Amino acid sequence: MKMGWKLVTAGLLLLNLTACTAKVVGDPNRPITINANVVVDIRGLKQTATGIEALVAQGGQL
Amino acid sequence: MKTLRFAIIFSTLIGMSFSSALQAGQYDLKEMTPEVTQALKNRQARYGELQDLKTQNSVGENSDGYVTALGDGSASGIAAAENRDREVIYRAIADQNQLGPTGLKVIETVFAEVQREKTRAGESFQLSSGEWTKKS
Repeated sequence: MKMGWKLVTAGLLLLNLTACTAKVVGDPNRPITINANVVVDIRGLKQTATGIEALVAQGGQL
Repeated sequence: MKTLRFAIIFSTLIGMSFSSALQAGQYDLKEMTPEVTQALKNRQARYGELQDLKTQNSVGENSDGYVTALGDGSASGIAAAENRDREVIYRAIADQNQLGPTGLKVIETVFAEVQREKTRAGESFQLSSGEWTKKS
């Protein structure tokens, strides 16, 4: 039981480290550098675009 | 050891909940200015009519994230109004997220892709090559 908890803890610790790294890097498949200092995450931008177009189509509260 | 284990589990759960929220709001409109609010309201009010014009192929989605009046150009007025409102929204996203003029072009391209995906069968849209086609 104690060994099990150790394994779970180690696994979660590893997940935390890798997740933080992935967040910093962003989407490795479609980043776009638009100047030396700004990298646009296309997937994030597409989420915004999809949300806005859904708001327009549904006539939601502004 | 128990405290450390609890801290790791807790931080993981918190991190997971924050990551999805942050990702969803990464390029959102951070401030609903009166201009942006009006542009969205205009687009909402115009939405049904614009969809009808798309069905009639009087209007199509171009590759720049805007609409183009097709055929006899009778829909040019509504197309121009729609494009003005879209530009307000795109510029607001670029400004509020410090993406600059080059970022505006990226925003327009991404919105064009979203619009292209929403196009219904029989409606016209412009490919990135500039060629116009109809969705099958």
